[in-house]
This record gives sequence, structure tokens and C-alpha cells, in this order.
Amino acid sequence: MENQNRLIVSPAPHVHEGTTVKNVMWNVVLALVPALIFAVYFWGIRALTLSLTGAITAVLVEALIQKLRKVPITVHDGSAFLTGLLVAFNIHVGAPLWLPMVGAVVAISIGKQVFGGLGNNPVNPALIGRAFLLASWPTRMTAGWVAVRGHTMSGINNFNKIATNFQGVSQKAYDLVTSATPLKVAQTLRDSTFVSEINAEAGMDLAGRIFTGLTEMDTLKNLFWGNIGGCIGEVSAFALLLGAAYLLYKNIIEWRIPLSYLGTVFILSFAFGSIPGSEPSLMLPFFHIFSGGLLLGAFFMATDYTTTPVTKNGRIIFGIGCGVLTIIIRLVGGYPEGVSYSILLMNVFTPLIDMLTMPKAFGKVKR
Amino acid sequence: MKYYLKLGFVLLIFCAGASGILAYVNSLTTPIIAARKAQDEINAREKLIPGAIFEERESADGDSYFIARDESEQIIGFVFIAAENGYSSKIQTMVGIDADFDIIGIEILDQGETPGLGANCLNESFSAQFAQKDALGLKVDKDDGEIVALSGATITSRTIVNSVRTRANSLKAELETGGEQ
Amino acid sequence: MNFFKELTRGIIKENPIFVIVLGMCPTLAVTTSVENALGMGLAATFVLICSNIMISLIKDVTPASIRIPVYIVVIAAFVSIVDMMMAAYLPALHKSLGLFIPLIAVNCIILGRAEAYASKNNVVMSIADAIGMGLGFTLSLSVVASIREIIGAGTWLNMRVTPASYDPMLIAILAPGAFITLGFLMAIMSMIKEKK
Repeated sequence: MENQNRLIVSPAPHVHEGTTVKNVMWNVVLALVPALIFAVYFWGIRALTLSLTGAITAVLVEALIQKLRKVPITVHDGSAFLTGLLVAFNIHVGAPLWLPMVGAVVAISIGKQVFGGLGNNPVNPALIGRAFLLASWPTRMTAGWVAVRGHTMSGINNFNKIATNFQGVSQKAYDLVTSATPLKVAQTLRDSTFVSEINAEAGMDLAGRIFTGLTEMDTLKNLFWGNIGGCIGEVSAFALLLGAAYLLYKNIIEWRIPLSYLGTVFILSFAFGSIPGSEPSLMLPFFHIFSGGLLLGAFFMATDYTTTPVTKNGRIIFGIGCGVLTIIIRLVGGYPEGVSYSILLMNVFTPLIDMLTMPKAFGKVKR
Repeated sequence: MKYYLKLGFVLLIFCAGASGILAYVNSLTTPIIAARKAQDEINAREKLIPGAIFEERESADGDSYFIARDESEQIIGFVFIAAENGYSSKIQTMVGIDADFDIIGIEILDQGETPGLGANCLNESFSAQFAQKDALGLKVDKDDGEIVALSGATITSRTIVNSVRTRANSLKAELETGGEQ
Repeated sequence: MNFFKELTRGIIKENPIFVIVLGMCPTLAVTTSVENALGMGLAATFVLICSNIMISLIKDVTPASIRIPVYIVVIAAFVSIVDMMMAAYLPALHKSLGLFIPLIAVNCIILGRAEAYASKNNVVMSIADAIGMGLGFTLSLSVVASIREIIGAGTWLNMRVTPASYDPMLIAILAPGAFITLGFLMAIMSMIKEKK
């Protein structure tokens, strides 16, 4: 019996460098810790409670389903924990505790285990959880957002530079700047009825000024550090970049998808992102990259091993596709933010991209 | 060849039989259906402005509206249908207004909005808000108006409110230029 | 084969939705509320009974190679008759079901039963089959619709059944909810079958 295991016939590669699922998943969780620390710093312990609720629910649900399916219980590999954490990261801090719980249950059960568990899911489970929550409780997911103490939701702090005595000029414009997220402001300023109304009230191109205000250095700084309203995990661009750098350094994620994704968003937002009355500036692409869930999506969700292409060219196509869809949803769609849906849509295309970009084996003759 | 002709012939007989029956049923039901539809419309108008005598008018852009008069031939209001594209469907709203363009009541005739969100516009609590409001300046709360938008369905609410306001304004303009007697 | 056995077969053992997986279009589209599901189920049952009787009667005069077009003509004629009659005499029901009645014509269950059963059996057995299949269809639609309506709207047959604090899970009455509910129900059905 003992000798049977000595001779194993297996396909290449034969050298294992020690990378395991467990290793990868917990490293990604580690890379998300800075974002979590920032969220706790901004909004207090509530951010941590919500995140852990999501993560622990996901682990328990995975263990339960694996027990029911009579397969080995593999919750210690961290993949369920990571999924739950990412679901919670897509929820704002004013949400009730059951929201990340339901999201995690859906992500693990419908998003992952019904397809056979880790490695078999066609699309990112965490994003399934988010899409499910957004469709089920649209008001809870989009209303009641909390801004960081001492700052506005949109990150524009210097109203008076935009218009003297800003609050007197137009209550509507003032409300927009103080209580809408950056991307929501950008979306609202594309609504021509709204724009003509606040411009008429203020007697000047107020919309154009607010839009310029979005891309000013001070606002971008707020976006970078996270002094804005947002979901738990997406608020601070700095913390996410820190985590991303760690993953890139550890060779856990690869540069192709994030780079092509962000690059596409950069170019397209520069070309089409401005509104009438404002000039295209190089600050605009940075606004689009630092706002919303783009960095979280590009580095932590669009790089999921199971649901993204394995070929190098395929990954670039995947990233470009995500970028195009994100910009389309942000600039012309009904939602202010489109990262989650664009990644979900491209996940569905992954098998097709892999098939089309699979390199030809050397010497293979087309039959 | 003969076989195929036979097949065609059999099919022809079946189709002819079916068409004959359908034609008969159709001739039987068409007048009843038409009468019911007309009655439904009358009932809807009656519900909005009870006890009035309606007179149909055609406006310049081809849409028709109704002038409601009381027994002494006095104009007491108007009924029109406002239609605009909402979130996922064309929403048709029948509106009854009095002579001062204050809304008497509205009724959503047709909509295909998202169930649970936009489709809630059929609820009494939404349409009841419109009563007594000035149709010419009607707006949802998000646009600083008086109508509280349905939660999660701002586009649907805004479409209904805006279509009513637009139609009311065009009706007013038409009545003024038309030299209403 | 007796009449009763034929009657009950469609309800569980050969349930048209969960076991034969026919008529998916109406199943997914009209199960947003129990009211719609019942209306659709009963209207389809009525058409199914009529078409099964008719097709069983004409089975000896229909050439085999054109049987499908003939069945379609018969079914479509019955659907149109039901549509017009309902509009004339039951306007309230027609208003709430108006959109779905033409859908019955393309319901695979009706053509499927015509082809698989009525064209090979006598009139009495065909009626039994139609009633059984129709009830099975109605029952399955109601089950799917009950789950979706209670979870997605908090009501059952338009009556509030959940506590006021329950925040309805809207996705259940949207299109994805239909697929998810149906998937889970089919999984449960096959789990029960495997255990037997």
C-alpha cells in the first residue's frame, strides 16, 4: 500500500512553490486591513462590527453548506471570510447589521456553493451578494450614508470658493454638495433639468463651478485619504493602494487587469467625463479613479483567480472591458457607480475571452 | 403529389373551421367589448369629476381632452390623459382638474414599472396626494415640490408628476389662445 | 389505467413544472403574485381541457405528418375564444390577466399534452390527463408565487402576512427571484425523489 503513493503520474508543473489557497486568501484579507483600519478611524467601531458580521456569517454559512453537501469543510482557507468581508465592504456604515449578514449568506450560497464551491463559481460571489442587496433593498443600500466627521459627503469643503455666500445662492446646490457622494454629485450635474435650475437660481454657471470643485486639488486630497462619504471598504484610496502594493509585491495579484482597467477609465474619463461648461482637465481622470469602488474593484475583485481569464492577453481584454463598462454606467447609466456590475458582466465573458486568447501550442496544426 | 395535396387540404379544412368559429365568436363579443370599454372610460371620468356632463375636444397636437360641465352648462373642470416614458414603461395617467387647474384626482391607467418600487404608484396613498394640488406647478419633493416621491422610485414618481404638469400647462395655453367660451 | 390514476399523475409524479419542466415562460413571468398565478393556472387548465378533448376527438382524421400545425390551430383557436369571451363577460378577470392569456397559446404544456397524450388516448382519459396536468400546473405556479409574494412583498393573496417591521426582499418579485425560487424548489423536488 505504501509504495503505491511513491509513483505519481501528473501533468506539469512538478515544482510547487508553496502557494496555497489558504496562503493567498489570508494575504488578501491582510491587504484589506488598512482599508478597514481607515474605516474604523473614520466611522468608529460600527465599521468593524459590520465587516466582521459579514465575514463571520460567510464562514458559518460555508461550513454549514459543506456539512450538508457532505464534502470536506474548508472554511479555514479564508476564502469565505474574504467573500464576507468584501460584501460588508460594499455596504455603507449606516446600514443595519442584517444587511451584510443577508449579503454574505447569498454570496456564499447562491454565488458560490450551488456551483460546487471554491473554483467553480462563474462570477464573483461577493459581487453577487452586493447586486442581490441592491436589487432587494435599494433604499437601504443607497440612503442614509454617513459622511466622515468634519467633512462633506462629496469631499468639496471650500464652498465659498465656488460661489460667495454659497448657502444663499441655491439651497438645492448646497444640499447636493453636502449630502451626496462624489459620484452622485457628478451624476446629478449631468441632469440638464437640475443644472439649468440651479444655474437660473444662482444667476451664474453654478453647476460648472461645482464640477470644477470636484476636481480641485483639495477635493482630490479628500478623495485620496477618504474624507468623503462612501462604503466601508472603498472610502480611502490610500489604504486600498497600500494593500494593492502589498499584493503586487507578494505576486498574489498580477498587474495586467488592474492596470488595463484603471488605464481605460483614465483615458475614457478624460475624453468624455467633462460636462458642458467645464474644461477637460487632467484632474478629472484622477477624480474618477479615486472615487467610488473603483480601486477596491480593480485590485481586489477583478483579480479573483476563479472568475477572471487565465491568459495574459485575456486579462488585458478583461480589464479594458471592465473599464469601458464602468465609464458607460457612470456617465450615461442610471446608477452613479458601475464598478460592481461591470466586473460581474465581464466575469460572465471570462470563458469566452479565455477561449479566444488561448495561445496555440507549439507545433500544433490546425485541423 | 396527391399525398401532399391531401395534407394541405386537411390543414385547410381545420384552419377554415377554426376561423369560422373565431369569426362567429368575434362577431358575438366585439359589440359587448366595445360597449364595456366605452363604459369603463365613462366610469373613470365619472369617478374623477362626479355628476358632470363631458364633451370631448381635440387639441392642436392631436390629443383629446374632455370638458366637464354641470347642469347649468357651467365649466367645472377638465379631464385629460398624460402619458410619458417612466423607468421601464409608458405611464398613462388620467387626470381630473377643476376650472382653476387644481387637481381633483388622478388615476394611473397603465404602467409596467418595477414591481415593489415603481409599481407602487398604483397605491391609493400615492395618488391621493395629488388632490387639491395646483396642476400647473406640480413637482415631486426632490424638486422642491409637494408630492412625496415613492421610495426607491424617484424616476417613476417624477415622470407621473412631470407629465401631469406638462399636459396641464399645454392645456392651459391652448384654452387661452383658443378663446375658450 | 383508471380515471383517477390519470388524474393524480400530473400533480406530483409527473408535475409539469418541477418534473417535466414545461411551460417555463409563464412560470417565470406570472408568479409575481398568487392572484396572477391562480388566474393563469386556471385559464391554462381550461384551455388544456378543451384542446385535449378536441385533439382526442380528431386524432383519427389527422394525418401524422401535419399533426403539429393542426394542434397549434386548435389550441390558438381555443385561446382566442377564451380571450374574447373573458373580455366580454368577465371584464374584471380579463383586466388582471389580459397580458397572459395570449401567452397560453405558446405554453408548451398544452402542446406537449396534445402530442404526448391526447393524440394517443380516448376522450375520457384525455380529460383526466388535462385536469391532472392543469391542477399540477396551477398548484406549482401557486407554490412559486406564494414564496415570491410572501418574501418579496410581505403579502399573500394581497393580504399582509408578515409583521410590519419586515422589510420585503424586493428581488423575490423581480425577474431574478423567479429563477432563484424555481431553482431551489426543483432542487428540493429532486432531493425528495432521490431519497425515495
